[in-house]
Amino acid sequence: MSISLECIKLKRTGFFPALLCGGILAAAVPVLNMTIRWKTYVVVSGNPIQILLDANWQMMAMLNVLFIVAGTCLLYHTEYADNAIQKIKSLPVRESSVFFGKAILTIFMSTLMLAIEAGAITFCAYKWFEIQNTFWSELCKSFAYAFWLMLPCIVLSLLISQSCKNMWISLGMGVIFVFTATMLPPNNFILSLFPFAAPFQIFMNADMTWSMRFVCATAAELIVLGLAELILIRVRRWGA
Amino acid sequence: MNFISLVSVEFRKLKRSKILFILLAATVILWIPSILNVQLNFHMEAEGISPEHNFFIQGFMGMSWFMFPASMVVGTVLLSQTERSNKGILKMLALPIQRAALCLAKFIVLLVLAITQIIMMACMYYISAAICSAAQDYNFILPPIFVVKEIGLLFLSAIPMIAFFWMLSVCIQTPIFSVCIGLASIVPSVLMINTKLWFAYPMSYPFFVITAEYGKLAARLNTAQVELIPWIPIAFLITMICFGISCIRFGQTERR
Repeated sequence: MSISLECIKLKRTGFFPALLCGGILAAAVPVLNMTIRWKTYVVVSGNPIQILLDANWQMMAMLNVLFIVAGTCLLYHTEYADNAIQKIKSLPVRESSVFFGKAILTIFMSTLMLAIEAGAITFCAYKWFEIQNTFWSELCKSFAYAFWLMLPCIVLSLLISQSCKNMWISLGMGVIFVFTATMLPPNNFILSLFPFAAPFQIFMNADMTWSMRFVCATAAELIVLGLAELILIRVRRWGA
Repeated sequence: MNFISLVSVEFRKLKRSKILFILLAATVILWIPSILNVQLNFHMEAEGISPEHNFFIQGFMGMSWFMFPASMVVGTVLLSQTERSNKGILKMLALPIQRAALCLAKFIVLLVLAITQIIMMACMYYISAAICSAAQDYNFILPPIFVVKEIGLLFLSAIPMIAFFWMLSVCIQTPIFSVCIGLASIVPSVLMINTKLWFAYPMSYPFFVITAEYGKLAARLNTAQVELIPWIPIAFLITMICFGISCIRFGQTERR
């Protein structure tokens, strides 16, 4: 019920087309890069997915995170503008279920974004490299990993948007966090766990221990962020 | 109401917006890695740049690449949303003021926010340089004339970009689209500065100017230098077109 309600609320806000355009834009990065600089990459030996992600993922992940930050800001902005949140609070609906509905919608849209990007990577691999038998399983693993690592970023940006009434504050904080993430060294495990930095990680088949550590740490982060959301709702209710 | 009081009214609207806190937080976060990795500046002498210049320019490159343009996008959201929430813009349009004057007043506020962040950045640079000088027993502090010249260049080169962001926020009523286009347009600026058509992309101007300064300071580093022709006429044209469109479109949707 809450998810369909959220869909109706977002009908004319541009949330769905904006995130779709974000996916298409991020998908255009490897295609454009390969079209212009294909000579540089085709001579590199190794797994095509790894080559393509190494060359383009930083920019693709940055676009993904920026669109998610903007999208989540909008999700709560529609509630705070004209005090719609007060009407929601008076309904027999839990605030956590509203948050859950928004999170599901963002997760769905980010899955779509990643699917478009996976399509672009497949296209590049088909056009400029050779698709081997292991290609599809590698692709699924890489993008499932990217999806999993993106979840804490989605939940944290939703938490920020929920806590800030003004859109520019949540957007400003999101932008600062994205910028901080770009400055963190990607080979430092603890620092890379920062929810806005984790989506910049690439799945490394050769180093499964490193990747598995990220998968487990992300699960722990999700639990912590979920608890933080419950605490935030309680604190705000007491404060009100 | 004369123009000065109109601008002062616009500033009063931002009193409780906490925008200064956001701008300050961005500049503080920017300098932390520079302070932590200060010893790396001594390894850059191979490129023919002194450690103190490298310390300064690396910080400003980080700012001009993403943080400064993104802060300006946040600034446009602030200016448009303070008016649109509770339909404040309708009250403003009901006043005997020209729409273009109102648009210009808001644009001036945005430019002042840009100057404020650049000054905050310079102040944070001096604080960081003082900390590093004490920690490394080496003078990282550059003369104020040099710093003022660089921040002046950064601000002037950012005006077309700010005009473009302002046009986006005025023309596109749906905030998510203006924000997403603004933020997404910043990302390719890294690629654009390496092309010959960098001057056609206003979002890359601040980063290009700072990178060119880096090339000037590092004797053994070859970075593309600013060519005033065709940059200045095109930058002027872009600013005028963006600002003109903003003035024409400002408040038009609300008037219908």
